[in-house]
Amino acid sequence: MSRTGFMEHPREPRHKRPVVARVGDYREVYISHPLTTLRTQAARCMDCAVPFCHQGCPLGNLIPEWNELVHDGEWEQAITRLHLTNNFPEFTGTLCPAPCEPACVLAINSDAVTIKDIELSIIDRAFEEGWVRAQPPGSRTGKRVAVVGSGPAGLAAAQQLNRAGHRVTVYEKADRAGGLLRYGIPDFKMEKHRLERRLALLEAEGIVFECNYEIGRTISAEELRRSFDAVMLCVGAERGRDVHTPGRSLPGVHLAMDYLVQQNRRVTGEAVPAAGAISAAGRRVVIIGGGDTAADCLGNAHREGCASVEVLSVYPEPPQTRPAGNPWPEWPLVLQTYPAHEEGGRRQYGVMVTGFQGSERVETIETVECEVHRAGSRRDFTPRPGSEGLMPADLVLLAIGFDGVASASLVESLGARLTDSGAIAVDADFCAAPGVFASGDATRGASLIVWAIAEGRQAAAACDRYLAALPKS
Amino acid sequence: MSLATSLGAGGNLLEQGPAQAKRLEVPTPILSNADLETIRHVTQRQFPAVTISTTFHSDGGVRALEEGLERICRLASEKIREGYTVLVLSDRHVDANHAPIPALLATAAVHHHLVREHTRSGVGMVIETGEAREVMHIALLVGFGAETVNPYLALETVAELLRRGLLPAGTDLARAKERYIHALYKGVRKVISKMGISTIDSYSGAQIFEAVGLAPELINRYFPGTSSRLGGIGLDVVAEETLMRHRMAFPERSVDPVSLAGGGDYQWRRDGEAHAWNPTTISLLQHAVRGGGPQSYEAFAAEVNDESRTLKTLRGLFDIKGDREPVPLDEVEPATEIVHRFCTGAMSFGAISKEMHETLAIAMNRLGAKSNTGEGGEDPERYVVDANGDNRRSAIKQVASGRFGVTANYLVNADELQIKIAQGAKPGEGGQLPGNKVDEVIARLRYSTPGVGLISPPPHHDIYSIEDLAQLIHDLKMANPEARISVKLVSEVGVGTVAAGVAKARAEHIVIAGYDGGTGASPLSSVKHAGVPWELGLSETQQVLVAQGLRSRVVLQVDGQLKTGRDVLVGAMLGADEFGFSTAPLIASGCVMMRVCHLNTCPVGIATHDPELRKRFAGTPEHVIAFMLFLAEDVRERMAGLGFRRFEELIGRSDLLQPRTDIEHWKARLLDLSALLHRTDAAPEETHHTLSQEHHLEDVLDQRLIELATPALERGDPVRLKLRVRNVDRTVGGMLSGAVARRYGEHGLPDDTIRIDLHGSAGGSFGAWLAPGITLSLRGEANDYVGKGLSGGRLIVSSPPNVSRAAEDNVVIGNVALYGATSGELFVNGVAGERFGVRNSGAVAIVEGVGDHACEYMTGGRVVILGRCGRNLAAGMSGGVAYVVDMDGRLHEHFNLAMVGLEELDGEDAQFLHDVITRHREYTGSLLASRMLQDWKASLGGFVKVMPNELRRVLSLKARLDVPA
Repeated sequence: MSRTGFMEHPREPRHKRPVVARVGDYREVYISHPLTTLRTQAARCMDCAVPFCHQGCPLGNLIPEWNELVHDGEWEQAITRLHLTNNFPEFTGTLCPAPCEPACVLAINSDAVTIKDIELSIIDRAFEEGWVRAQPPGSRTGKRVAVVGSGPAGLAAAQQLNRAGHRVTVYEKADRAGGLLRYGIPDFKMEKHRLERRLALLEAEGIVFECNYEIGRTISAEELRRSFDAVMLCVGAERGRDVHTPGRSLPGVHLAMDYLVQQNRRVTGEAVPAAGAISAAGRRVVIIGGGDTAADCLGNAHREGCASVEVLSVYPEPPQTRPAGNPWPEWPLVLQTYPAHEEGGRRQYGVMVTGFQGSERVETIETVECEVHRAGSRRDFTPRPGSEGLMPADLVLLAIGFDGVASASLVESLGARLTDSGAIAVDADFCAAPGVFASGDATRGASLIVWAIAEGRQAAAACDRYLAALPKS
Repeated sequence: MSLATSLGAGGNLLEQGPAQAKRLEVPTPILSNADLETIRHVTQRQFPAVTISTTFHSDGGVRALEEGLERICRLASEKIREGYTVLVLSDRHVDANHAPIPALLATAAVHHHLVREHTRSGVGMVIETGEAREVMHIALLVGFGAETVNPYLALETVAELLRRGLLPAGTDLARAKERYIHALYKGVRKVISKMGISTIDSYSGAQIFEAVGLAPELINRYFPGTSSRLGGIGLDVVAEETLMRHRMAFPERSVDPVSLAGGGDYQWRRDGEAHAWNPTTISLLQHAVRGGGPQSYEAFAAEVNDESRTLKTLRGLFDIKGDREPVPLDEVEPATEIVHRFCTGAMSFGAISKEMHETLAIAMNRLGAKSNTGEGGEDPERYVVDANGDNRRSAIKQVASGRFGVTANYLVNADELQIKIAQGAKPGEGGQLPGNKVDEVIARLRYSTPGVGLISPPPHHDIYSIEDLAQLIHDLKMANPEARISVKLVSEVGVGTVAAGVAKARAEHIVIAGYDGGTGASPLSSVKHAGVPWELGLSETQQVLVAQGLRSRVVLQVDGQLKTGRDVLVGAMLGADEFGFSTAPLIASGCVMMRVCHLNTCPVGIATHDPELRKRFAGTPEHVIAFMLFLAEDVRERMAGLGFRRFEELIGRSDLLQPRTDIEHWKARLLDLSALLHRTDAAPEETHHTLSQEHHLEDVLDQRLIELATPALERGDPVRLKLRVRNVDRTVGGMLSGAVARRYGEHGLPDDTIRIDLHGSAGGSFGAWLAPGITLSLRGEANDYVGKGLSGGRLIVSSPPNVSRAAEDNVVIGNVALYGATSGELFVNGVAGERFGVRNSGAVAIVEGVGDHACEYMTGGRVVILGRCGRNLAAGMSGGVAYVVDMDGRLHEHFNLAMVGLEELDGEDAQFLHDVITRHREYTGSLLASRMLQDWKASLGGFVKVMPNELRRVLSLKARLDVPA
């Protein structure tokens, strides 16, 4: 089949709701394309003999294959093909930064195929048509697996293990399942009904969710080990990176994740106790950090009606186009602009925070411009003398990364150990200790949801091999 | 060609009677389910058919498989004794407890069993199998003895595709199945034609295959007579692999939802078949040449070499073990010298864009290495060095079967002339340029019509024997004595013997091309199943040439997916002096292995002529140069480590290669590489290129012609010569034409500047490459290949004066006149042999009678035939026009009308004919021409005009487009 769509149609990504409209609510920013547009966009795929998108995707999504099916209008075939490699396309379709797209062959000298849009449209259509149904296993193996943590890695591992016929129980320390998908991701990126719909399917497949269960508190590690043939740890990398600059303990200086969790509860309609409540409403907000978490805080702050937002990054401003030494098909180290950035706020680069000032709560932050020096994998920051400054701030959110697994004792109580970077140490088969597996952010550090799903799947396969080798119970 | 076969008892071949005729004719070797049921039930009375189930117990392992084979052989014998004349071997009865005996194994086992029993011709074999789905599967089953195959599972898959809506809307099931069978039919036809076989009955049981990786015991027992040089797996592994597939089909429990794996055979998939060019290797190489530097190249080479260690190639199975102390790197010959051993592969302008083609030429010329035109001619403007000193001239000019754009001027602008006998990517096939890639420029350079697809014929029509090859080598050497003559062969069993003949035919350079090279435009059946790895062909060639004492006379080159310094070193140790690279320099220039080279939609501007897409080409000569220098440095470092200062010391040192002892792969460890690594004892200077070939050009007639034509050559003054010619004077005019082209280029001298009247009997290739401005007028006769590659000169052959027969009854020139002629004229006062005007692409010729196959594969020019014609006139003719006198009203019986139609003459035709016949009378004194001109009106009425359908299509399209303007 001759593929010339890329020569005939320009790239047309999904449209976004206008800024004024979308900052007034928490609904998703993007609007779905009509099916005809999607088919045209899918026609831009060249069906490369060496599909770099498929390599660029941590899940190995069969992108050219479902692009073709969408172009042909074979949506049901498309979801089957998509589900082969991806348990939750609605999560990646909304949340993934889509490393497949910069790896698209068209991106060498033109604009990539809108792969992520097409992915989301396939799963949306499939849900609408009722093609996504629970798939309980045909028979049960009699083996039992505990999955600890219900974020994307845990859910993917649970679904794979359950479909293999094992009895799966998912333990979640929070009151509701979903992990970061529920408490980290704002609704304007992915509305919660997508999560609820998927959780209901997983339950219908036979997976048992036990919320408000904390290993070591609600149930002991020994009991867990005794009750299950294997344990899969998908506990994330929840330890937020903090600073130790003077004034850090002032009220009004918070870890970003604490703010995001509260915001998610509020948006869902849950009560947040007044004591310890973090709100941006009417405040001059300073977000420290330049990544995804910072952007999530930014979007929330505007929706809460903040007075102003400054986003400070210690790194220099990334270039607009690929720098030398960062060629296609690598992930481009360029300035990323998310919808949240379009909604307001100012981004400043090469700025380091040296202190927080204030009497009752934070009022001002001390800053200095700085330069970054790379020393191997380490980076050193040198302040530029004379560039010191002050910036008013009523709310400071620290979105500067994560330092690994929150609870070392949980990991150790199961016979596993943490690496120097705070991740659970595993072998090539995701095995942390005999019968104990781990995957997702817990093993690779805070990363993309697509990696969490990919690792959850791989670890589940390894766990399944382990279970298959156990004597029949 | 015919793929019709017949079933039933063949009877005694030497008897003739009604019994021999009692056969069930089957029009195609691929049977639909209905066809098979007809054989099973309807024709039962005349042709008793019996089905033998070819399955074995899945828990019985290799024993069960072996017993299964014994059982089906025994049953076959019994059934023949019982009077059955059709055996259906069927794997339909596969279930959870029964696995299929691989269909090929079952077929070959029964076939050879019956051959041994002398009962094979008493029965027809039908294979009902779920395994066969591709062309190659059918070809193998037939090649190992089956008469017909019913690929039931593939047919069911077609039905399933339709059911799932994956076929175009409106397709009905019967039609879809018919199309699938027809596709297989055409594929099989292509496969057998590539092997030079024209009926399926000749192919059935012919076993023209080479096995790579099967143990001798397995071959001897079930596939006797098949070449297999490396040993390999036995029946136990066959059983295990069969059972692995069986377990996948009937799993104990399912983990993933049941869905078939993508496979990734033709398109790379992460969990599929491994491909040497994959996202990692492609991007590493591109990074390396775009500023990534030596570290990136090393990462690339490590990845590739490691891949080769992961068993994708034969060279990955060796270790290199030095026998010397390392030497300092600066004592090793410099990279700038090593690169002289490198060239880029034969990729035509046509296959690849102008930008890509010229980038390769500039890069290789800057390095003092060589690029290759491929088979597509070259624009003469590239023979002039650019203002900035860049040279876009390809050092190697290819001469392939289509002879596209091969002119005297093309030949003199070369350092090497390469005769392409075959190409690694698609042995047995020529270049194939679809019409959508033949634009104005390409058509001009190839002397063809824009929009008309170009298919190079499988054979060279001037090479039917090694003597013919020697003649072509001589022809090329005459045109350009400074160029070395290369012959490109393909790695396959027996190539060593061919190479020895080529060396004796005085080729100076031999290429052994491996099977894994190739373009995205190669047919899939060739990509996957034709040719063998270069290691096998190179090693065989080296061994044979050394043993025959011929090795030192030729330069031996290898190509086929060479990528790293290690590849080069292994090639040298197996016998190569030089190395060709094609895909890697394209990748360096931006190729991302889209494999759409035939569609003109290459998104990086490499394999396309679309002006918009060509703008996207981002490759530079520096990219290619960087790759070549990285390679050369890689080679040097390895040489230093091994203690070698000069490259030639490495050539033929296969003793430095040792089979790896650490191979744990359950199948690879069974290979026996000793035949590959065998080294023939010889003095060092006998194992690589040290001597030059002797061509004896000093005493050829053309030396005198050049001497006598000096006033014309130096000043353009007219020269008239009169000489005698003898049949030992071969390629008369060839060297003179080279001399004209060298001084005066494509357009040569003004008409008739050098006029040479000859009498006598001319040897082969009379007037080959004849350049504009030269007229050769021969009274007498000439051998084969008159006017080969005629490039603008005029050739006149008149019947000798004292012949008793009329000229139109007298054969005066041999076979294959005007092969690859691009312009010029030929007047023949007499009859020509066979294949007159074959592949003519521009010359005007008039002749008084021809043998069979006249005007075959013509793409341009005009041929006038005044007298008798042989059969198969105008076969494969896609361009040009022929005018033929219909002597007896039955001319249509002589045509091959597959590609041409007959038309009425128009005024322009009449004018042309009158003019050319008048000149024919004038030049040759033809009595026939005189007679025709006397009653011109009647004569004109006798002509039929032969018009190729393709040309008519393009002309009428053009006319329609031109009307509004």
